[in-house]
Amino acid sequence: MLRPTAAAKATAEPTRQRRIQQGFRERLAPYAYVAPFFVLFLIFGLFPLLFTFYVSLFDWDPIGERTYVGLDNFAELAHDPRFWGALRNTFSIWVLSTVPQLLLALGMAHVLNHARLRAATLFRMSVLVPYVTSVAATTIVFAQLFDRDYGMLNWFIGLLGFEHIDFTASVFGSHIMIAVMVAWRWTGYNTLLYLASLQSVSRELYEAAAVDGASGWKQFRHITIPSLRPIIVFTVVTSTIGGLQIFTEPLLANPVGGLTCGAARQCQTLTLFLYEQGFGRFHFGYGAAVGVALFVMVVIVSAINYLLVTRIRSERP
Amino acid sequence: MNPTSTTTNAPPRRRRGVGRVPFLVYVLLGLMVFASVFPLYWMFVVSTTDSATAYNLPPHVVPGGNFLHLANLVFTTVPFVGALVNSLAVATAVGVGQALLCALAGFAFAKLSFPGRNTLFLVVVLTMTVPAQLAVIPQYLIMSKLGWVDTLQAVIVPGLVSAFGIFWMRQHIGSTIDDELMHAARVDGATTWQIFWRVAFPLVRPAAFVLGLFGFVNAWNDFLWPFIVLKSPDRYTVQIAIKALQNSRDIDLGLAMSGSFLATLPLLVLFVFVGRRLVQGIMEGAFKG
Amino acid sequence: MKRVVTTAATFAAAVLLVVGCTPGSNSDTGSSDSKAFEFWSFSAINQKLEVDAYEKKHPDVDVKLTEVGSTTETAQALTTALAGGKVPDLVLIQGDDLPKFMQSPENFVDLSTLGADKIKGDYLEWVMKQSVTADGEIIGIPTDVGGMAVAYRTDLFKAAGLPTDREQVSKLWPTWDALTEVGKQYVKATGKPFIDNTPTSIFFQAVNQGSERYYDADRKLSYDKNPQVKAAFDLTLKVHAAGIAAKQTSFSSGWTAGMTKGDFAVMSAPAWMLNAIRTNAPKTEGKWDIATVPGGSGNWGGSYLAIPKRAKNAKAAWDYIAEMQAPEGQLANFLTKGNLPTTPSVYTDPRLVERTDPFFSNAPVGKIYTQSVVGIKPFYIGPNDATIGTELLNTLTSVEQGKVAPDKAWDTALANVKNALRG
Repeated sequence: MLRPTAAAKATAEPTRQRRIQQGFRERLAPYAYVAPFFVLFLIFGLFPLLFTFYVSLFDWDPIGERTYVGLDNFAELAHDPRFWGALRNTFSIWVLSTVPQLLLALGMAHVLNHARLRAATLFRMSVLVPYVTSVAATTIVFAQLFDRDYGMLNWFIGLLGFEHIDFTASVFGSHIMIAVMVAWRWTGYNTLLYLASLQSVSRELYEAAAVDGASGWKQFRHITIPSLRPIIVFTVVTSTIGGLQIFTEPLLANPVGGLTCGAARQCQTLTLFLYEQGFGRFHFGYGAAVGVALFVMVVIVSAINYLLVTRIRSERP
Repeated sequence: MNPTSTTTNAPPRRRRGVGRVPFLVYVLLGLMVFASVFPLYWMFVVSTTDSATAYNLPPHVVPGGNFLHLANLVFTTVPFVGALVNSLAVATAVGVGQALLCALAGFAFAKLSFPGRNTLFLVVVLTMTVPAQLAVIPQYLIMSKLGWVDTLQAVIVPGLVSAFGIFWMRQHIGSTIDDELMHAARVDGATTWQIFWRVAFPLVRPAAFVLGLFGFVNAWNDFLWPFIVLKSPDRYTVQIAIKALQNSRDIDLGLAMSGSFLATLPLLVLFVFVGRRLVQGIMEGAFKG
Repeated sequence: MKRVVTTAATFAAAVLLVVGCTPGSNSDTGSSDSKAFEFWSFSAINQKLEVDAYEKKHPDVDVKLTEVGSTTETAQALTTALAGGKVPDLVLIQGDDLPKFMQSPENFVDLSTLGADKIKGDYLEWVMKQSVTADGEIIGIPTDVGGMAVAYRTDLFKAAGLPTDREQVSKLWPTWDALTEVGKQYVKATGKPFIDNTPTSIFFQAVNQGSERYYDADRKLSYDKNPQVKAAFDLTLKVHAAGIAAKQTSFSSGWTAGMTKGDFAVMSAPAWMLNAIRTNAPKTEGKWDIATVPGGSGNWGGSYLAIPKRAKNAKAAWDYIAEMQAPEGQLANFLTKGNLPTTPSVYTDPRLVERTDPFFSNAPVGKIYTQSVVGIKPFYIGPNDATIGTELLNTLTSVEQGKVAPDKAWDTALANVKNALRG
């Protein structure tokens, strides 16, 4: 859809000087185009990150003194049971929220993939509704649904004859609660991603497999999954990066506990621990050290996940 | 789609299930919709009754008549209208800003060759691994140096940085704009800017629009950074207003839920109009990703 | 499509322009308009009532009140602001949070330069001591103290066969052990919990009744060695073992619901708590009464008003303090909200002495609370008090939730405190 008139209008017999000027500008153009992003990123992305590394080498009190302590903060961190607890919580919540979520999304995509589905768009839109709702709002709602004495979930549990579960008090229970909040928000989004990819899988492959006598399950394993590999890789990596940084849900789910998400830090994730140390206790240096540890972890785990998932191989039946 | 043409000469069909959709499928879909929508419905119900009723078992699932009273309380406890305006301003600025900036940079990465292009792009990708929360402390110090604490630009400007957005636009521009098109334009003597603004951008406007939508939604729902940097009630965004409601009366659930509902409503309304675009955007992105 | 984008872009640009050109709210106050100031308070104490009263008396003054959040959140916001952001002109700091700020007094205006030294004598000496530095700088003016009492539900007591008259009820529990026995009786009669929780309603009360708390008289950390702290801790474990608590954490949503639904019959009630009960459970009006606390006296809570150094309008903020926290002002506050004044001169004022509260069955709140602060042995509150208290409270909450074994609780608590005090 070229608009020749515009292009032609702009270029009536450029003089040699103009051509040099333009040449110069042209060479600069790409840099100028990426410049806004990079300038902003430098100021608000890279510099703060580097500054965090710097701060982590200090015992830094924002309204008091700061003293250089080298790697002491990291040594302390290694011996701090709260750090390891937060690490455990983070991993646990990440696994509990990501694995079921992606599997469920795959299943839901399968269901949505029917050719003659009526009101398909409506269904697709409704699974995306959680994505657009406010995190703060839904955390409050879910926290109430999980309440020990008056939550709807415990009401069901009571009906079934069991004792009420105190979700916020138990480590596993609080992880489930947070995982449900996170999964609820993102499953629809991932479902749509999978659905799109499913729709591009050629029917012929399935027909050929059926002719060869492959069962539905075999077709799923050997045709569907390998075809979806790129999108599975994408969702696993982004879920990992996001899942290891969960912050808002633990912060708001247990407002009485302050920044610890539970009297015994049951659901305190690493990011929340970072925030507690930085903005709760104002140990900027220590908080920064947690941040550095978190950054390293995210990079490593993402890399591992990426490597694992790209090894899904295509097999022919 | 013609159900009778099942011969192998027909082009490969792209969906499964030629016949009637089984009832089971609709049941499952119904469950999916229910799960997606129920928490919102519950939020609405509680905001129409009051805390004491919310704490009744068996749960009271029918809306009550208390909505106006609680809504009114919301508007008088915190400057909610102001918060809505602030959120709208921030989200719009971020959405539009992101769409433009990322289109620009994405275009450069996709279609222009310049030294350092690949390295710079790698840097962009790496930044996606950095959690936003890390930078919060130094970012606050920067804002105070700039004198931007408690201003909306402190929330808008950092929000314009979206590595994912660049990734997305680069993807779209790369697959939509032919190299031949570029070449033809150059032959006609167009400058790079003209190629971008008059050729490339119009072609990827839908994708840019979707990116802007995502930016809008994310900015609307952003919590942590506004929480730290916005302090005066007349600067609150709608998410901070909800938290303030949570605090205001020792956790009055009815009030908090009412505020939560009112904060989500604008997005839901928006969703009714552009939800289809969002869905398409996600699905197209997947396709090309 | 194109039009949508263009209009959106123009709109965004317009918005940015408006937003960018709007002066930050801090330039609304200050020298251009010396009658306005910014006030940060914590929420749930209905600070708005006082602010409105002040503005009514001084129509030319504009007080921008922000209720930041809990006491801890307000202290955190203040620290963040002092570290490099916009500071308010006036800030309310809870007593446990104050010592940390006292360590860096340079962040605040020495109120004696504004006239505080003249009114210093109006306030309870042991309360004032906390906000004066070793060099004599006055950092904060006390607004109220909590005192201590126990609020109980008369209707629920009646149903359990217990007396309802407050004199009789007070006689039921001269000691904490006696309270526990009453609790067991109640549970036996009704099958429902007696007290809202043990960490706050037992531990925080008992530990605040001692002569020393987490620091000793030499201002050294002593939480682990102080027998009074251990005694309060063990007491709480004992009460927990008696199984009389509803296990609702104070200030949680289940706790506020529980007040209305009668999930518990008894809760700790320093003066400022009465307001919470009133706002959270309006339907229970007239069903409560107030009895004395076991041990007779004690103080939990109390706050101070301070002015950050970088405040734009310190004078206006000081005017507010001088007026609202003068003995008359604190008395007026008491009469509207029930907060106990820190100005002993009004303790004998007939308006305070004869004050009764209809929400609480016309209990003589003035008498009850002033009596509870008479004869207390004030202790030093140190910089890490808030942290230590939180960790001890959290450990006891974990015990109540069944997550920590009672016999391991003390060691766990000490370890948690030690961790929290790192660095």
